[in-house]
Amino acid sequence: MSCVEIREQLPEFAVGVLPEPERVVVERHLQWCAGCRKEATELGSAVVTFAYALEPAPVPRGLGDRIVARIRQAAGAPGTSRRTRASAALAIAAMITVAALGWGSAMAGRADRFADQAAAAEARRERALATFGRVVRQLVPISQLPVNETHMGQLVPTAGRLGGGAVLQLVSPRTLDFTIVMVNGLERDPAQMPYRVTLQNAAGETLPVGRITELDSTGGADVVRQFENQDLTGYTAVLVTNASGDVVLSGTVDQSAGA
Amino acid sequence: MSSRHNGPLVAREEQKLVEGLLAGNEDAVRALYARFARPIFTLGFRLLGSPEAAEELTQDVFLTAWRKAARFDASRGRLSTWLMTIAHNLAVDRLRRETGVTRPRFVLVDELPETPSADEEEPLMERDAAIRALESLSDAERRLLARAYFGGLTAREIAEADGVPLGTVKTRLRTALIKVRRANQDKERP
Repeated sequence: MSCVEIREQLPEFAVGVLPEPERVVVERHLQWCAGCRKEATELGSAVVTFAYALEPAPVPRGLGDRIVARIRQAAGAPGTSRRTRASAALAIAAMITVAALGWGSAMAGRADRFADQAAAAEARRERALATFGRVVRQLVPISQLPVNETHMGQLVPTAGRLGGGAVLQLVSPRTLDFTIVMVNGLERDPAQMPYRVTLQNAAGETLPVGRITELDSTGGADVVRQFENQDLTGYTAVLVTNASGDVVLSGTVDQSAGA
Repeated sequence: MSSRHNGPLVAREEQKLVEGLLAGNEDAVRALYARFARPIFTLGFRLLGSPEAAEELTQDVFLTAWRKAARFDASRGRLSTWLMTIAHNLAVDRLRRETGVTRPRFVLVDELPETPSADEEEPLMERDAAIRALESLSDAERRLLARAYFGGLTAREIAEADGVPLGTVKTRLRTALIKVRRANQDKERP
């Protein structure tokens, strides 16, 4: 769909009533088209004005405390028992930024005449790495998690497929290894799901990372797995397959260098 | 972490607040709550029809914002737009999931913005500004936006109901939104 056709849809998109098929197309377009994204942002801002003008309803007493408690619990703030899980959640959140670069790079690669997109993708990559570095430092003392034990890779679509993504691995002799995979732009066709994410080593041995049974409106999902008794060294190939077993995304984690 | 309670946040402050949210920082969550809980709750109440549903929605909005915090980029748009879009999407999704209908039950064309009440405890600067911006619209344009945003009607449904071409409705929607946007920009200029 061209920018002109996309922009025709943006008013309905902004007010949240664009029907599903068109909405997904618009969201995918906005992932890489800065011009349309700017217009969508401006229209969205105008819509919010409408919500702000409503006669305010009285907010229940104590709601703020309940929200703080839920987020602190989910984020694994000190004093809660979910620190480990939250650590993974924080890493996932950081990976979302990282994955945005994967998606941007994939799109830039498919439309290589747009050199500025490639440059923008590179800039996002640098920001993503910086974000990830900050999050890693929040998770554990840097002395326990040397940067050279975290590795990244990008996922790109196979022929005729859509989407992209990014992979983060922690391969460490001191802590449990884990892999985080974030995908974006996958087809939301129910016949394609569930998607499966696997790791593969040079010998062709595979390890499951997880299944994707639900995608968000942009065809995105996050998968994380912590491996308790498995060294991920050498498991550098990452495959995302659909329900038929066809590979839709693939990539390689560079374990030779840290993130 | 601290942030001014009054006046619009600049992009850097918004980004910092969202980073604090991502880390589960209580001060950041409370600062966001102080600024955005009321409009989010109000929107939920208008769309879902009960304070219980609105509270649940408000909690879900903040939790969703925490989950998506790393996606937020203040250079691409305002925090208020991001949060209210999450709120609207969650509310509409909930209505569709629970009732099977494709639009909110409450078509609030009669609940268009009014003058703020004099006894409001905390006059909301944002609300005053929003009302002023909407004054740039004709009654027909306000009704059109309300039917779409609060009533969940698509451009095609509005076109069929009114017996006008689809393209006309889309153009009117765009024109109305651009008018509001321009009014907001005029307001932001010194």
